[in-house]
Amino acid sequence: MRNFWIDTDTASDDAVAILMALRWPDVNVIGISVVAGNVHVEKGAKNARYTVELCGKKTPVYLGASQPLVREPTWGYFFHGDDGMGNQNYPEPSIPLAEGNAVEALIDAVRSNPGNITLITLGPFTNIALALRIAPDIAEKISMCYAMAGAAATLGNITPAAEFNVYVDPEAAKIVFDSGIPLLMVGWEHCRGLANLVEEEIVHIRSFNTPFADFTIDCNVHAISTNKEWLTEPGLALPDPVTMAIALDPSICTKRSAHYVDVETVSELTLGMTVVDQLGVIKKEKNIEVCWEIDIQGWKDLLYKTLQ
Amino acid sequence: MPQKIIIDTDPGVDDVIAISMALRSPELEVLGLTSIFGNTYGEVTAQNALRLVELEGHDSIPVSRGSDVPLVMPLEGLGTMVHGEDGMGNTNPPPPKGKVIDKSAAEFIIEVVHTYPDEVTLVPIGPLTNIALALKIDPTIMSLVKKVVLMGGAVSKPGNISPTAEANIYHDPHAADIVMRAGWPLVMVGLDVTQQVVMTSRFLEEIYKTKNPVTNLIQGILPFYQGFHNSHFDSGGDIHTHDPSAIAYLMNPDLFHTEVVSIFVESEGRCKGQTIADWHNQWESRPEVEVCMNVDGEGVLGLIKEYLTKDSS
Repeated sequence: MRNFWIDTDTASDDAVAILMALRWPDVNVIGISVVAGNVHVEKGAKNARYTVELCGKKTPVYLGASQPLVREPTWGYFFHGDDGMGNQNYPEPSIPLAEGNAVEALIDAVRSNPGNITLITLGPFTNIALALRIAPDIAEKISMCYAMAGAAATLGNITPAAEFNVYVDPEAAKIVFDSGIPLLMVGWEHCRGLANLVEEEIVHIRSFNTPFADFTIDCNVHAISTNKEWLTEPGLALPDPVTMAIALDPSICTKRSAHYVDVETVSELTLGMTVVDQLGVIKKEKNIEVCWEIDIQGWKDLLYKTLQ
Repeated sequence: MPQKIIIDTDPGVDDVIAISMALRSPELEVLGLTSIFGNTYGEVTAQNALRLVELEGHDSIPVSRGSDVPLVMPLEGLGTMVHGEDGMGNTNPPPPKGKVIDKSAAEFIIEVVHTYPDEVTLVPIGPLTNIALALKIDPTIMSLVKKVVLMGGAVSKPGNISPTAEANIYHDPHAADIVMRAGWPLVMVGLDVTQQVVMTSRFLEEIYKTKNPVTNLIQGILPFYQGFHNSHFDSGGDIHTHDPSAIAYLMNPDLFHTEVVSIFVESEGRCKGQTIADWHNQWESRPEVEVCMNVDGEGVLGLIKEYLTKDSS
């Protein structure tokens, strides 16, 4: 079994990603840490607990950082709805919050499973950066980190230059990128365009007639409309599930390479931009890998498999 | 009932005096030392903290190692030109016998504060990284801590590490701003008062007349520190009393005059580390803290002399 730890600012696409991991055969999700990002941390934790319960699991959900490291928060309610879940107003789940804080729980999990723990980050990097600051040894004990983060050579989604997760806590992203954790940055571009689920694919998912399939579409109804109207995309974009698909089956990333990637933390115009030194012109040591291409049909087939 | 305190420290020559005073005071119960980079490297300050609890048999007091780097900035300068590479005036003391505990400083602070709700005073006398990390990881400590009494900053005097910044704040301005705006009861013991408390060569000679492990250690490490003060401030052997002033505040707050004001910390540019008091509430609202503006210097010196020279408890 592969051990996973999911760090998430659970709104609608995070919820689908969590569901995929919880329903994947050879993966054991040890814990879920929640961070402020799309929604306030308590709300994200409720959404994560609801998703865990829907999957019939008891995976512990820990409350993490309620704000970025040094900045004021930026929220994603405009995209995901007031509850983060397409305004579905799901009932309070019966699973309680796990005791203790997310950062110490993550450190414990990594130290208890050195070399067999995959980290999947679906939100801002605040929790991971805090963990690295008080326990730098975890960097070499995490087998791999798949991060929904950044925009490698393309435009941003919260500003013209920056992707949301990195924009919200750029200092934390920089700490994680420079930490030595083996990390694959899956930018938001990989959920755009042809990777969107268009109307007939949404109908196809509905036809599975499972609670997981319905949940996937229902909680994303607000995201579908914002994605179309605001980002002029063709359907439903699912950045976190694309990242999770790669974590579950790394062959879905069909082109990747290591580079020095830095994060803008000063400029007002380009705050949170992930700057990839593709040509190595500044000759800094490569710190992370960048995902350049994905197998689009492979990603969709993997999603379908987890919803049936 | 003695006051329960945790000293977060980067020893450091003046830290040695401060910690020794606290350990020798029956009014203060030191629950632990947490170490932090600053005056020298984090690895070295942790070793020095162990040396200090061992100096007079306080080995049972836990020492927890904290961060080696600031919260978000890369590690830049340290205080080695003031305190020596070893933080002990380049005297290369023998290695300590004990070891730091397994818990990191931030985790230790969180645990102890929860164990003694409303009883623990945090006394940071180095960069504020560990305190900011503890607050970020567990914001509930904000309302469980009795008080924070920190050495750092300056609102009415120029800086000491730059024209605008005091060294502890300068080494991690982001962390300092988090601590200043947290909304907990906080007393800032900054250069405004610590530069009013001057230890002269004559005062130090008086202390050295009493022979004990602490005065012997101080006599050994202080010449390097005095040398820096002489070369930079032409001080004639006199030194400012930074960290010990924070301990003196705990012992007798009546020696200090404080004013209540919001403090903002600059984190970028050449004024990085400047602590700005918003006296007329012109910037956005944030919780106020108490800032020490005046001090009975003779009173503080009297406490230092009393506690360094008395029979060890």
